[in-house]
Amino acid sequence: MKHLLLTALGCAALMASAQQVTVTQSSRLLQGVEGPAYHPVLNGDGSRLLFTGTDGSGLKMYDFALDVTTRISDAAGAGMDAFFGGDGKVYYVTQTRNEHNLIYRTGHAYDPATAQSSVVLEAQHGAMRPMQGTTGAGLKAPARDFATSQLGTAVCTQGSEVIVTVNGRERRFSPVESHAGYLWASLSPDGQHVAFFAAGRGVVVMDLNGRVEAELGNYEMPSWYDDHYIVAQNATYDGHQFSSSQIVLLKADGTYKTELTRPTSMTMQPTAAAGKIIYTSIDGNLYLTTIAINE
Amino acid sequence: MKRNLLKSLVMTAAVLVGMNGAVAQQPHVYINPGHGGHESDDRNVVVAPFAQGDTAGFWESNASLWKGFALQEVLKKKGYKTSISRVTNDENSDLNLSTIVALCNASGADIFYAIHSNATGAGDNYRINFPLGLYRGYTGQPQVAGSDKLASDLGVYLIANQSTVWTNNNYAIYGDWTFYPSWGLQGLGVLRGNNVVSMLDEGSFHDYIPETYRLINRDYCWVEGWNFSLGADRYFGRLDQYDLGIITGNLRDDRLLRDATYVMHGADVRQPINNATVCLLDANGNVVQTTTTDNIQNGIYLFKYVAPGTYTVEVSEAEHFGQSKEVTVAANAPTYCNFDLKRVRNTPPEVVSYSPVWASGDAPVKCVEPIVLQFNWDMDIASTEAAFTITPHVDGKITWEDTNYRMIFTPDDAYDVNTLYTVTLKKSAQHGGGTEMERDFTMQFTTQGRNHLNTLALWPREGCKVHFKTVNSEFRTDSLLQSKDLFNLFRIKDKDATEQAWNKRSIKNNKSGDAYGYIRLPLTKDLVAGDDYVLEIDREVSDTAGIHLPAAQVIHFKAVDMGSEKPGSVVLFDGESADGAAVTGNYASAALSTSTTRLLGSKSLQLKYDFTGVTNEAQAVINLSELPQQGFARGDTLGVHVWGDMSCNALKVVLAPADDSAIAPIEVDLGNIDFHGWQYLTCVPSNGGNYRLTGFKLSHDTEGSRAKMGVSGTLLIDDVLYQKTSGESGIGHVALAGVKVMPNPASDYLVASADGLIQGVELYDMAGALVARHAGNYINVSDITSGVYAFKVYVNGLISTHKVVVSH
Repeated sequence: MKHLLLTALGCAALMASAQQVTVTQSSRLLQGVEGPAYHPVLNGDGSRLLFTGTDGSGLKMYDFALDVTTRISDAAGAGMDAFFGGDGKVYYVTQTRNEHNLIYRTGHAYDPATAQSSVVLEAQHGAMRPMQGTTGAGLKAPARDFATSQLGTAVCTQGSEVIVTVNGRERRFSPVESHAGYLWASLSPDGQHVAFFAAGRGVVVMDLNGRVEAELGNYEMPSWYDDHYIVAQNATYDGHQFSSSQIVLLKADGTYKTELTRPTSMTMQPTAAAGKIIYTSIDGNLYLTTIAINE
Repeated sequence: MKRNLLKSLVMTAAVLVGMNGAVAQQPHVYINPGHGGHESDDRNVVVAPFAQGDTAGFWESNASLWKGFALQEVLKKKGYKTSISRVTNDENSDLNLSTIVALCNASGADIFYAIHSNATGAGDNYRINFPLGLYRGYTGQPQVAGSDKLASDLGVYLIANQSTVWTNNNYAIYGDWTFYPSWGLQGLGVLRGNNVVSMLDEGSFHDYIPETYRLINRDYCWVEGWNFSLGADRYFGRLDQYDLGIITGNLRDDRLLRDATYVMHGADVRQPINNATVCLLDANGNVVQTTTTDNIQNGIYLFKYVAPGTYTVEVSEAEHFGQSKEVTVAANAPTYCNFDLKRVRNTPPEVVSYSPVWASGDAPVKCVEPIVLQFNWDMDIASTEAAFTITPHVDGKITWEDTNYRMIFTPDDAYDVNTLYTVTLKKSAQHGGGTEMERDFTMQFTTQGRNHLNTLALWPREGCKVHFKTVNSEFRTDSLLQSKDLFNLFRIKDKDATEQAWNKRSIKNNKSGDAYGYIRLPLTKDLVAGDDYVLEIDREVSDTAGIHLPAAQVIHFKAVDMGSEKPGSVVLFDGESADGAAVTGNYASAALSTSTTRLLGSKSLQLKYDFTGVTNEAQAVINLSELPQQGFARGDTLGVHVWGDMSCNALKVVLAPADDSAIAPIEVDLGNIDFHGWQYLTCVPSNGGNYRLTGFKLSHDTEGSRAKMGVSGTLLIDDVLYQKTSGESGIGHVALAGVKVMPNPASDYLVASADGLIQGVELYDMAGALVARHAGNYINVSDITSGVYAFKVYVNGLISTHKVVVSH
């Protein structure tokens, strides 16, 4: 594991800056216990981790304190957009095809307290987009939405829009042009900033009023590390396959970037919360890293 | 206004309510128009008049985007919801494949189409054309249920396209895990993790040049987009929900051939009609649409959104007779209507010029002179070839040029010497319009007394290895060569067909009085060791009498470093000194010294010799001062680095038994000095035992066919090696251009990248044992012992091998 990471202080910083980043801990996660694991998602306090298998098949949850992995769903695609609501439950979407070959999607909630899943949004045709709320969760869908009674501040992307819900009031923003659309909306821990990916533009940071605060470059899958920093994936393709992929740490105001792993480490899909950074590798090995930032 | 509003509301309701009264949902199609950006992952096929890199020429990204736009346009008219992954063709719109998958999954789409075109990746002479559909999984076992049906529903319409020429009449459908077995379960990147019913279509082969020209035509691409919409309609059971059709087709001359040498199949051999006007007339004779074909060799026309009914398609073009056809258009269906136009030819055919032109008393013509007949019209091949005779009979080949305006008869071999030939073309020869000539045509000629040019020696030879530095090519013949601009008929090309420059100032040509013909051609730059090359010699290489070679020659050879390390070898002699060495034998003169022209070390042993006047057993024997003995096992190899001047003299190595001076030395053949520059010549002494290298023997043939050559010259000898022949891993390190492996040294992952698709990688230790294998482009080496390894990259059916270091 140690060789995946840049262990030197602020090693290979992409921009000159006074910051120094130190990797304080790094380790392989669930080695020998789980098969290839992708799309890791941490909950807010960093105590639990969702992940899925190849092609987003199935959904599992790992509890750090108990060192126990729980199988939540075996459904194809269940792990692709799964997330933790602010209420601690796991929300995920499954899909079926009807007799007219239309795909219907169903929203589910898994309660770790009872270890039970329940349907929270009946099957409907079209996209079902996750809304991670500071106190609850929601699912945006074409015909009917779902939201917990206490949603708090929540964000999601739909097409080329970022949808921001604050205290029940929904607003839609298209702050940068991106015909292909937006993805991977992430709300900062203090609930004041949204990072998202705009196809063709990269990672964009905006406030809750849709004002662009920074464009951080052609990175993907942004996830807030704290209120000021974001972890993201920096991958390149040769047209067919990944030719490099690494995890980078980006300051949200665009003034600092540094590599947390080398481009040839083939690491990807980062998630961060409560001081933990978790990512996977191209062959599905999960890694846990902690860092110290000296400003 | 109110009535219109009410009608609009009723129609909208009708769309939303299905036949059974249930609420009909709007299907959602995600369109991925392939790679974009005119970059390295894009594909540019160069066809005239477009230069390489010209974005107006063929690029897969252009054609795929036009198809995608068409599909989106038609689907919207048909009431679908659409998403598309790019609407521009630039670097920013060329998204990572995993990003496209994530965008598709997030869109809520019901189906996903990745629109591409295909390429054979084979040589210029192998070209095919058919559509291919791929979905994720094994064939018949899609990872996302329904993906195989999506592909088969599309295939019905693609393979029915009559504007193209297919070389396979079935739509090929495979699971990508089956189609790319070496990739394991990786499959196509744009289908990996894609949760909707999805497929990737390679609509046709864009390196089949007639198809390349079609794919530059936006109307042709539009029709493919239309056909995708029919595939979607069939998949969703909506074929009856759209009431307009299209008419499209291809205009070609009914017999005039394309003036081109690229591969053509079926009707594609005939010339497309550029700039033709095509009109669509309704049943009352009213023109309802008009279009023109473009000027880039495809003959494609299209009428979009035509109401069902009976129509007439009228075609007109200045050099062809007009033509019209009645067609019937059905709702939501394509109507294909191709035209084969007859050219306007209004006079009988005749021979307007010919060669060779000869009359009794004229000088005889060369024995390889082709017979050329030039006509006033493009000729009917069958009747014209049937009307052609040559007496006495000569086997030969008839070819046609200038789109059948010129017929060329080329004898398979040279004509007989000193012979009168009579050529007749009977008047039954017809032009393309079917009219015969008015009278027979006859010509005569007599041939010269010599009909072949014979090769005495050639370097490089077929299949040989050439030292990559200071390369000379030499060609020798039995008569003096016509030397003016002769070098233009010789070309050395690298593996990318790039011609290597001759050092024209240093070219040596034969001169009057020489004993044989020759040209010696030095290259300006060194070659690349490890690369393959070809030497092309044109058939037109001729002697001073104009006699050509029997045929052009293509010589394949490989550049290597003759001085490369030979593992496990022992140096018996290093050529650094001539002290103590002597030369004996039968010669006019011979001298030993050292030369700074060397392969290894700082000097080589040089023998300058002259056998002039020696008529029997001409030879020079180099006797070395006493060298250490070496034990030979049966089958062990003795290797000698030799610099040759193409003397064609024979070289032997002389060994004396070390332990019994009473036994005569043995001579072992190293071969003839029929090469230029450094070679590593090897021989295998037939017996084992302890031997001492005592010298070399150079012999000159004074009577055979090579007696004219090698009368005098220079021979250089560098390191002489003893090599055991067992215990090598056999792993070479031949890296292909464009294949990169990073990082090196590696501690985490070794990652390969290439211009083409990487099918797999393998890691071998230096003993040749397989250490790790992955059906992708990387290997995780974090658990592999530090050391030196060979990393094999499988790309486009080739293997690129790289020496890599794993270091922890």
